[in-house]
Amino acid sequence: MTEIRDSFVETIIELRKTDDKLVVLVSDSSSTCRIKPFMEAYPESVVNVGIAEQNLVGMAAGMSLGGMIPFTANAAPFLMGRSNEQVKTDICYSNTNVKLVGLNPGFAYGSLGPTHHCLDDLSTALSFGNIEVYAPCDPEEVAQVTSYAYKKEGPVYIRLDSFKADNIHPSDYKFTPGEPVVLSEGKDIAIVSTGTIVHETIKAAENLEAKGVSVKLINLPSLRPLNRDALASALSGVSAAVSAEEHTLYGGLGSILSDLIVEKGLGLKLKKLGVPEGEFAPASPRGDIRKGYNLDSEGIMDTCLKMLK
Amino acid sequence: MKNPFCLKPLDISEKSKSIRQSIIHMNSFAGAGHTGADLSETDILASLYFNFLRYDLNDLKNPERDRFILSKGHGAGGYYCALAEAGIIDKSLLETYLQKDSTLPGHPVRQKTPAVEFNTGALGHGLPVSAGLALAAKKQNRDYRTIVLLGDGELEEGSNWEASMSAAHFKLDNLIVIVDRNGLQLADRTEKIMALEPLDKKFEAFGYSVRKVDGNDPQQIIDCLESCTASEGKPHLILAETTKGKGVSFIEDQPSWHHRIPVGDEIQKAIEELE
Repeated sequence: MTEIRDSFVETIIELRKTDDKLVVLVSDSSSTCRIKPFMEAYPESVVNVGIAEQNLVGMAAGMSLGGMIPFTANAAPFLMGRSNEQVKTDICYSNTNVKLVGLNPGFAYGSLGPTHHCLDDLSTALSFGNIEVYAPCDPEEVAQVTSYAYKKEGPVYIRLDSFKADNIHPSDYKFTPGEPVVLSEGKDIAIVSTGTIVHETIKAAENLEAKGVSVKLINLPSLRPLNRDALASALSGVSAAVSAEEHTLYGGLGSILSDLIVEKGLGLKLKKLGVPEGEFAPASPRGDIRKGYNLDSEGIMDTCLKMLK
Repeated sequence: MKNPFCLKPLDISEKSKSIRQSIIHMNSFAGAGHTGADLSETDILASLYFNFLRYDLNDLKNPERDRFILSKGHGAGGYYCALAEAGIIDKSLLETYLQKDSTLPGHPVRQKTPAVEFNTGALGHGLPVSAGLALAAKKQNRDYRTIVLLGDGELEEGSNWEASMSAAHFKLDNLIVIVDRNGLQLADRTEKIMALEPLDKKFEAFGYSVRKVDGNDPQQIIDCLESCTASEGKPHLILAETTKGKGVSFIEDQPSWHHRIPVGDEIQKAIEELE
């Protein structure tokens, strides 16, 4: 098992070996992103701006205009919340070559409560025209998304969870921006998720298969760009789908799916799991919050069984 | 690289006069604009583009050019007229200001207008970005200088003070921050809306090397800018004391002219005063 943030750090160390333009900006968040090995190897390539998220994003934009390739790394709630207008204007509208890494999204901070929960980073980033948006789920996918973001000229957002995991994709897995990843073929119901919830959906699918339910399991690491035809095609053949995300139900994965089902006339039932309108998630351990919203493997399984009744 | 004009102060004043006339004509023709702000910053922009900034008219993207960011993006009108005066954009383009699909929108956009480095309009963004540009120069041992022009009302945005801490902390002596200190903001006088003074002491306390000048006097502006090139391990802050609406008596120092434009007889009267 590897902590997926370590996979990010290992990747940027590799990239920095051959490119001294790569720089990482943190806002007192060096432990949050476990960046110590990078700092030890390349202390001159880390900029700590202190607890000042607006300045974090603004300075990253400036450094990119000066020819560098900045990655920012801080807690997702303060990135997308505190520096919302900097993300919009300095990164997206100005189309600067900055890679924003939002750490510990969703309920990752659990008991620390709603100040630290981040349930709107995907919808916020997706609302800003041009920025590409990724939520990788395992160490290999984190590494590939990070390498891709480095090479891609322009704004990229990576939702990077704190999570220990083994790789779930085959060893020859090749991440492709925009492409949905079908983890298992099935004909009864589709489960679609993004980020580390994918691991819960895998367990749910195994339990459902044991009960004789055939599950099409889809991982969507790429929310923008999105090959909508490929996703529609992946959903064809099932009559129901469940989406699962640690995010508000508005503007994230579930919304993408419901829009797609309507636009393409797919005619399948959809149940969106996430945080509904009008509430903050409780300040509780992450596992309990997931359970409360049926985002644990059991809740996802039960939701599927109800859909198929 | 050097400034393509290297004009002397008297000649810069002539350029300022011409830029101010363009502002009156352009805003009147467009039927909108921030006339007071445009006229306030004119002498600073003229001093920069005709004397201080190092750039190549034939290679505006040259990586070693000095970087200028107009953080007070609502001063776009004055900025475009200065760029036209310097021949960076065609003067005939000024007639398209604010029109559909114009390359001269109401706030500067780098994808549209040559020499614009960064998209401003929302206040409090230019200084953090400029600090990043200056830090990137330090990290890469490059010689370009970063100059940012802020409005004074804009200083009410907290992001400026976050960036100021960083500018001093990272010893960005290749960063020159100019404050267009005309004392007015949208609603009224800055000191009435949200008192900023003593600005010099505040900036000094934040770690800047602070200088005060008459921001409508090119001689003083240029002398001051030149004195900012000494490496002191501190970012430079120029409090440029200006008159909002400078050059036209009935526009000067009037809050209502923040985004008013001359109409009818006012147009001719303004031009006469500027000749």
